[in-house]
Amino acid sequence: MDIWATLPQLLSTGITFGAIYALVGLGFVTIARASQIINFAQGEFVMLGGMITFFLLNKIHLPYPLAALFAILIVVLIGFLMHLLVIYPLRKASLPILLMATLGASLFLSSTSALLFGTLPKALPPFSARAPFEIGNISVSPQSLWVLVAAFLTLFSLYLLSHRTLLGKAMEASSTDPLGADLTGISRNLMIFLAFGVSAGIGSVAGIFITPIFYVSYHSGILIGLKGFIAAALGGWGKHNGAILGGFALGVLESLSVAFIPSGYKDAIAFIVLLLILYIRPKGILGSPFIDSRRW
Amino acid sequence: MVDQVHKEFRRRDLLYSGALWLLSLIIPDPQLHYRREYRFRKRDLFYLLTILLLPLIWSDPHFHHIMVLGGIHGILALGLTLFLGYAGQISLGQAAFFGIGAYTTAILTTRYGFPSFLAFWASALTAFLFAYLIGRPILKLKGYFLALATLGFGEIFLVMVRESPRLTGGVIGIFDIPFFSFAGFIFDTYLKQYYLIWGVLMGLVLFSKNLIRSKMGRAFLAVAASEDGASAVGIDVSRIKLGVFVIGAAFAGLAGSLFASVMSTANPETFSLNLSVLIVMMVILGGMGNLYGPIAGAIFLTYLIDGLSRYQEYSLPIYGVILILLLIFFPDGIGTRLRIRLIYLISYWGRKRRREKVEL
Repeated sequence: MDIWATLPQLLSTGITFGAIYALVGLGFVTIARASQIINFAQGEFVMLGGMITFFLLNKIHLPYPLAALFAILIVVLIGFLMHLLVIYPLRKASLPILLMATLGASLFLSSTSALLFGTLPKALPPFSARAPFEIGNISVSPQSLWVLVAAFLTLFSLYLLSHRTLLGKAMEASSTDPLGADLTGISRNLMIFLAFGVSAGIGSVAGIFITPIFYVSYHSGILIGLKGFIAAALGGWGKHNGAILGGFALGVLESLSVAFIPSGYKDAIAFIVLLLILYIRPKGILGSPFIDSRRW
Repeated sequence: MVDQVHKEFRRRDLLYSGALWLLSLIIPDPQLHYRREYRFRKRDLFYLLTILLLPLIWSDPHFHHIMVLGGIHGILALGLTLFLGYAGQISLGQAAFFGIGAYTTAILTTRYGFPSFLAFWASALTAFLFAYLIGRPILKLKGYFLALATLGFGEIFLVMVRESPRLTGGVIGIFDIPFFSFAGFIFDTYLKQYYLIWGVLMGLVLFSKNLIRSKMGRAFLAVAASEDGASAVGIDVSRIKLGVFVIGAAFAGLAGSLFASVMSTANPETFSLNLSVLIVMMVILGGMGNLYGPIAGAIFLTYLIDGLSRYQEYSLPIYGVILILLLIFFPDGIGTRLRIRLIYLISYWGRKRRREKVEL
C-alpha cells in the first residue's frame, strides 16, 4: 500500500530524469546523424557545462546568465577542438581506434576538470524561486520544469535545423550517403566539425540545466553520457524524437524501479534495458534511419 | 676496379643481411599464422631465455612487481587479441571476466578453504560459463553496439559486486586471499610469482599458437574478413564468435585468479571500465592479428602507468594525451609500424650505397 502511495511522486522524478537523459541523448544523436560516430566524451561535455558555469559564477563572479552563456561558448570550443585534434586525424581509422580515441578524450577531459576545478561535487543555484510547488500530493521543483522546457526547445531547434535548413540536410547527407555527399560538393569534414560543435553545445546546455538538480563531480560525466546513449538507443537510434521518448521511458523506469528493488541496483537498470533493447530490437522503439548501414 | 667494387658489395651485403638476421632473431615471426605447423625457432629460444634470466640479472623487487602486473595484463591482452585481433570483434567487458575470475578465487579460498590450484581452474570455468550465458544473446551485434553491450555487462557486474556485500564484501572487497600454492610450494615473493605468471603466460601463448593454426583459428580470420563470406564457405559464424569470446573470457578468468592470489585482495575499483579500456589499448598498440605484440603492449602500458604515477594528479591527463597520440601515430600497432620502418631502412641503405657505386 505504501509503495502505491509513493508512485506519483516517483513518476514525477522519473519525468525530470527522463528529460535529462533525453537532452544528453540528443547530443549523441546529433553526432551520429552527421558522422556515424558514437562520441563517448559526450557525458564530459555535460559535466564541463555544469563545472565551467559553477567556476564562472563563484570564482569570477559573473552574473548567472552571462556565466551560462560563456560556459556554453567554452564547451562548444572544446567540442570543435576535440574534432580537430582527435577525430579529424583519425577520420580514416577503423572503429576500435575511433572508439578508444573518444574514450581517451573522455578520460583526458574528466581528469583535467578534476585538476582545474577540484574533485569536490558541485551544485549550481536553481534558476528561479526555490520553493517547490505542489500539484495534488506531488511536489514539483521549478527546476524540473526548466529541464522539461529545455529538452523540448532543444528538440524543436534540432528539428528546425535538420528539416528546415540546408545546413542540417547537408549534415545528414554526409552520414547517410558519404559518396553522394562528396559528389554534391558537401565538405563532410566540415559537417562533422559543425556537428561536434552543436553536440557539445547541447551537452553543455544539459549540464547547466541539471547541475541545480543534482551534484556534478568530475567523474559523473561518463555515467550520464552512457545513460543518454541508452536513452537514444532505446527510443530509436538516430532519431530526435526517439531520444526524447527513450529518455522519458528510461527515466520513468529507473525511478519506478526504486519502489520495487533496492536503490543500489538503480544504475544497473539502465544497462539491463540496454542489453534487452539491443537483443530484442536493436533499432529502438521508433526504428532507426540507418541501422543497416556500415558501422552497426 | 670492377672486382674491388664487387668485393665491397659482398662485404656490405653481408653486413646488411647480418643486421636483418639479428633483427629476425628478436622480432616475432611475421608469417606466424601462415605456417602450417609450429616449429621451435631461434627467436623463441631468445624470448624464453630473456624471460627466464631477466629477473635474475635485474633483481630489483620493483621491477619484479611491475613484470608480475605486466604478465597478468599480458594474459588479459592475449585473451582479447584472439577476440579483437583475430576474430575482429570488439569487447569492452573484459575487465568483468577478470573480476569474475578474481572473485571466484577469493570466495572459494577464503570462505570455503579450497586449495588455490583448484580455485585457479574454477575461476576459468566460471568466467567461461558467464561468457557463454552473456555471449549467446549479444554476439549477434557488431561494431559500436557490441562494444556498448559488453560495456553494459561490465557495469552490471560492478553494480552486482557492490550490492551483494555478503558474498563479495561490497565496496571494501575481500582481503587476505592466500598466495598461490601448488603441492606445498607457496609463491610468496615477487620473484616466485614472476615465474608463476610468466609460466602460465607461456603455456597460454603455446595454446593460442596452436589454436590460430587450427581449423577454428582459420575461421577467426575468415569471420574478421567477412561474416557473409565466412558463412558462404560453411563456417558457423555465430558458433565461432561465441567460441572465441568464451576462450578470451576464460583467459581473463585465469588472469583474475592469478591477480587475486598474487595481490591478496579483490575490490570492485580494480575491475572498472578503465581496465577494459587499458586492455583494448594493449591489443591495438600491439597490433591486430599478432600474438606477441599485445604482450609487449601490456608490458609497455604497465610501465607507462607506473612511470606516470610519479606525477600524481597530473598522471591521468598525461595518460589520456599519450593514448590519443599513440592512436593517431601508431593506429596499426607500434611493433607493426616500427618493423616495417626498420626493415625498409636497412634494406634501403644497402640499395642506396649500391646505386651510388654503380653510377661511378
